[in-house]
Amino acid sequence: MSSRSEIFGAIQALEKREIDHPGDFKSYKATQDVVGDFKNSLSIVGAICVDAENKQEAATRLSEIYPDLLRYTSHEVVSNGLDLEAVDVLEIDGMFGVAENGAIWLSDQFLPNRVAPFICQHLVIYVAKSEIVATLHEAYERLDGNYADFGLFLSGPSKTADIEQSLVIGAHGARSLTIILV
Amino acid sequence: MLNHAEASEKFIEDAERTTWHDETLWFVRSKRDKVSKLLPEWEALREQASSIKDHTLANLGQYLEEFETKAQKNGIIVHWAKDAQEHNEIVHSIISKHGGKALVKSKSMLTEECHLNEFLTKKGVEVVDTDLGERIVQFRNEVPSHIVLPAIHLKKEDVGETFHEFLGTPKGNKDPQFLTEAARQHLRGYFLGANVAITGVNFAVAETGEFVVCTNEGNADMGAHLAKVHIACMGIEKMIPKRKDLGVFLRLLARSATGQLITTYSSHFAKPREGQEMHIVLVDNGRTRQLARDEFRNSLKCIRCAACFNTCPVYRRSGGHSYHQPVAGPIGSILAPNFDKSANVDLPFASTLCGSCSNVCPVKINIHEQLWFWRQDLMKEGLAPLGKSLSMKGMAFVFSNPTIFRMAGYMGRLVMRFAPFIVNNSFNPWFKQREMPDAPKESFQSWYKNRK
Repeated sequence: MSSRSEIFGAIQALEKREIDHPGDFKSYKATQDVVGDFKNSLSIVGAICVDAENKQEAATRLSEIYPDLLRYTSHEVVSNGLDLEAVDVLEIDGMFGVAENGAIWLSDQFLPNRVAPFICQHLVIYVAKSEIVATLHEAYERLDGNYADFGLFLSGPSKTADIEQSLVIGAHGARSLTIILV
Repeated sequence: MLNHAEASEKFIEDAERTTWHDETLWFVRSKRDKVSKLLPEWEALREQASSIKDHTLANLGQYLEEFETKAQKNGIIVHWAKDAQEHNEIVHSIISKHGGKALVKSKSMLTEECHLNEFLTKKGVEVVDTDLGERIVQFRNEVPSHIVLPAIHLKKEDVGETFHEFLGTPKGNKDPQFLTEAARQHLRGYFLGANVAITGVNFAVAETGEFVVCTNEGNADMGAHLAKVHIACMGIEKMIPKRKDLGVFLRLLARSATGQLITTYSSHFAKPREGQEMHIVLVDNGRTRQLARDEFRNSLKCIRCAACFNTCPVYRRSGGHSYHQPVAGPIGSILAPNFDKSANVDLPFASTLCGSCSNVCPVKINIHEQLWFWRQDLMKEGLAPLGKSLSMKGMAFVFSNPTIFRMAGYMGRLVMRFAPFIVNNSFNPWFKQREMPDAPKESFQSWYKNRK
């Protein structure tokens, strides 16, 4: 007998128990100020947040934040993943943000490569102010029916506290994260 | 092998380190308290998570089947393993097909449970753990002492020394920033060169056939997206029915674990990327046995956040290694007897039954009750050490016989007043690290009878 049928056999042998799924969860209060909450969460998770009216303004601010580094947008890099190792600053588009935790949904339709948000040294994500939802529940509501082959919630730069609980930014992924709110 | 009490005794020999360990974990617990209280729906979320898991466990067969079908449709190759041995063999057979000198692995408690590293190393495969904490303990030939903070038993001086030996960092440098950077550079080389990446799984969604992996460092993604082959290993209890359920669990997981709002990366893997091979290994290894036990089934709800570790007064003062199991702490103590009762007979006793673990558990597992259930089970099976079962029998005899109980109390007070050395010696475990109290002059009963 295969292990698969052994496992299913063991489960089917159990007494049937009827327990319903509790249904979708509704968060208690929807925040009034999703953009304000989102910015607050970004500061907690260690991301830099920039308000920009237009691309020109964003570019100016980015030159101040990353003065000596070359920046690439996802349209400019054609990649097999490995060559992104050499990219200092990568600018990508996020679909929407989540106010309660500063997470941004990224899906591989809008990434030059799945590894892009992880392997570059510094990451810049553009998110529209109109595209912020309050909680993860609303986020999944929004993603309903939209199944990316690969997608992620990204919140802040990569970090670790594995050495004596001291927080260090820049573990394996991006060393800094800048969010441009447009 | 030392039992929990013996190993703890070694751990607490270094009082300063024990205090640091205790306070650091309590600090993590406090962070959890702070962020959880910011959510007015926190308790409702816990209830919801617990109900979803109840429902899932009652319909596990159906959801596993749905997951398998959807995952296969997504192009993922699905494997089933009934035990650790088969899991390891499956993983090895995939690796041998693809070759490569080294494979990169991100955190997976399941692979720890199956002793995969040991298995692969014997077969000549170099396994590189890429989570910083796990890499540290791997260098030191140790195992993680905490499922979320694998190197929490070490101080930065220890890490500095280890990195000096293995990565050539300057002797005496113990700066966490510097050491983390050294590990980043060291592991990047492996990420860029590895053919095969192994990751764990935090949640598998039946509805979509996708699985979610959460990290703060980004190591799971660095490995999985660069390697030609991605193998994800999971216990069959990691299943959840719907994608929307993820909202509930991702809100609870990081807040409970480290007091973060969410992990930095919560990656949803649905399909392999072009040209990549994606495997998922679903492992039973005793889980269906636990599923059949009414009083222990709940333990399968665990999402491995380690909140119960951080709050446990025994774990904080005894360290993870004293549990001699891949998953330590209160939850490990109720999972371990399912694997091997006689080897883990000490673990359900490594608790004060204070119940703090159950109070912080995001999926509301009745951990302290299960510890107590296991104690009864192990005693009934006669697995408890002779001293413990004899003293229990003795106590039962004394407590059920009022005359003898009164006599024993009288004798006890006499001994403690006139011959304290009979109890104040190293044969009495209660005397270790403690002053014995002064004996009262009379018992409560006689005081009550004689009161005016």
